[in-house]
Amino acid sequence: MSIIQIESLKKTYRETEVEVHAVNGIDLSFEAGEFAAIVGPSGSGKTTLLNLIGGLDSPTEGKIVINNTNISNLSASQIIDFRLWNIGFVFQAYNLIPVLTAKENVEFIMHLQGRKKQEREQRTKDLLTSVGLGNRLNSRPSQLSGGQQQRVAVARALASKPKFVLADEPTANLDSKSTENLLDIMEKLNREENITFIFSTHDARVVKKAHRVITIEDGKVVSDERK
Amino acid sequence: MNLRIAWRNIWRNKKRSLITISSVVLAVVLATFTRSFQEGTYELMIENAIGKFSGYVQVHQKDYWEDKSLDNGMELSDSLIRTILSTQNVEGVNIRIESFSLASNKNNTKGTLVMGIEPKKEDSLIDLSNKIIKGAYFNKHDKGILIGSKLAQYLELDVGDSLVLMGQGHWGNTAVGIFPVKGIVKMPAPNIDRQIVFMPLKTAQEYFSFPNGATSLVIKFKDADLTQKICNRLNSRLDTTQYKAMSWQKMSPEMLQQIQSDRISGIMMLNILYMIIAFGIFGTVLMMTEERKREFAMMIAIGMQKTKLAIITLYEALIMNSLGIIIGIGLSIPLVVYYHYYPIEMSGEMAKSIEKFGMEPVLPTMISFKIILKQALTVLIITIVAAAYPLWSILKLNVIKGLRR
Ligand SMILES: Nc1ncnc2c1ncn2[C@@H]1O[C@H](COP(=O)(O)OP(=O)(O)O)[C@@H](O)[C@H]1O
Ligand SMILES: [Mg+2]
Repeated sequence: MSIIQIESLKKTYRETEVEVHAVNGIDLSFEAGEFAAIVGPSGSGKTTLLNLIGGLDSPTEGKIVINNTNISNLSASQIIDFRLWNIGFVFQAYNLIPVLTAKENVEFIMHLQGRKKQEREQRTKDLLTSVGLGNRLNSRPSQLSGGQQQRVAVARALASKPKFVLADEPTANLDSKSTENLLDIMEKLNREENITFIFSTHDARVVKKAHRVITIEDGKVVSDERK
Repeated sequence: MNLRIAWRNIWRNKKRSLITISSVVLAVVLATFTRSFQEGTYELMIENAIGKFSGYVQVHQKDYWEDKSLDNGMELSDSLIRTILSTQNVEGVNIRIESFSLASNKNNTKGTLVMGIEPKKEDSLIDLSNKIIKGAYFNKHDKGILIGSKLAQYLELDVGDSLVLMGQGHWGNTAVGIFPVKGIVKMPAPNIDRQIVFMPLKTAQEYFSFPNGATSLVIKFKDADLTQKICNRLNSRLDTTQYKAMSWQKMSPEMLQQIQSDRISGIMMLNILYMIIAFGIFGTVLMMTEERKREFAMMIAIGMQKTKLAIITLYEALIMNSLGIIIGIGLSIPLVVYYHYYPIEMSGEMAKSIEKFGMEPVLPTMISFKIILKQALTVLIITIVAAAYPLWSILKLNVIKGLRR
């Protein structure tokens, strides 16, 4: 059974005189354990699609069902809790709370979930170790490189034990070495722990690592290939 | 965790936070300071003109206050005095007989207020013997008088000289007498200093042909705040067809009015200060939230409820403001206490114009924890209100827009 089902999804922005069909009729579904890339040129609608899936934005038409929940039916505060318990997020940049250390940033989300201190601390250590930052627990984001910050963000995204992780161009601000490193970590987590990743990119080297590549153009899926 | 985030956010921009805290400190200190000076001045004014002269409560024959003639005076009786003395919180009663007379010496004549007093008792109330600048204090059998220093100057009188007094006595009698000046007193209120003649009660009763007569009974008690209560108690116990107890607020309404209007203008000035502070706080909190909209959007995106986020920002504002307020109180207390015991002494024109109003030219503070707390609380409320709009903007934050910044 698929964990995400998207049906005739549309998002139209009407901020100026012209209408922008950022997402223009998309049908997709994702299974647990996928490692999928959403690919397309800048302005093709990747961010809009991921925001809709993540419940950060609401569709103009169509629906998104996650684990049997039509997320359009949730209230503003219900959708926030839904995100907290079901979806992990990694953004392009500014993922972390600047005044908290790496460890505290990861713990923070479990704190929101009301998990016990002991569990929080153990899990934080495990996760930061698995992204290769076991020795940087007490560093503030400003003391970490861009690649390290993104790895903390991945650890944070996993800390809440989500159904899947959404990552919008997580490597856009990274050099090629850090890009490869981050992708390897994500792939390892996918392989070993069956974590579902859906990420967007327009970087060919990142696309190569994906197990499924969904290409969109002008808000429409133009190809969907599994490797 | 929330508190930790709030605390660290405050120190994220040290300079700005320190400026915010200092402005709150300044607000509290300035507000308590000006209010303490204001109330201190009133307190001194009331104490000099009322507490140490007319007393906070007086009992008269019921028509006396409307028409202050000796004919509206009262015949003293033991039962009257006993009733007064047995009233709760009343510690004593000073008998006075007062009326206007003409005083003359050589070619100078002047209207004076002749006040017959009980020398010993009055000394403890108006501290008269300490106000003597020349000569000596009198006792109850004395035939001599004490006169105000300005009056003495005007009439060119010195200790040992004689003063001729002439006026209306009781029931149409003419009051005439020649009295030796036993001492010259400097009264703090110049309008009194210019016209007062003190006489032992017995001597005055004889002068006015009103043996055993009195015009006013000054009620003595410790706490000035009890004025109204004691006044009410007396009126409920006395025969009100004959007597009437009055509070100083009733006896000197112009003073009360002056204080109240002065107080209002002082408070208006403070309101301007409060507004400045409010805008300052509003600006900082607004900047803090604007700068962090992206961060806030991220926190909401990953699953933090907006209300929780608003609470963190509220904590930040509260921590800074409370710090400011605590430091402000800490600084205010010693300042207020210091200037209570070492009041600012005014000089020059300012001092002269203040003396004209019958006041000492000094500015003491009033030591009142109530004032300090009230000002601190006002500043706290203002700072919370000023933080409300930024909090509101968090609750309305659009996550998508925030993230796209
Ligand atoms: N809030 C918005 N208001 C108006 N237009 C928007 C808004 N967000 C995105 N768009 C437009 O929608 C289209 C898709 O944008 P986006 O999803 O960000 O693409 P991508 O992430 O692939 O670069 C673009 O043309 C963009 O200008
Ligand atoms: Mg994008």
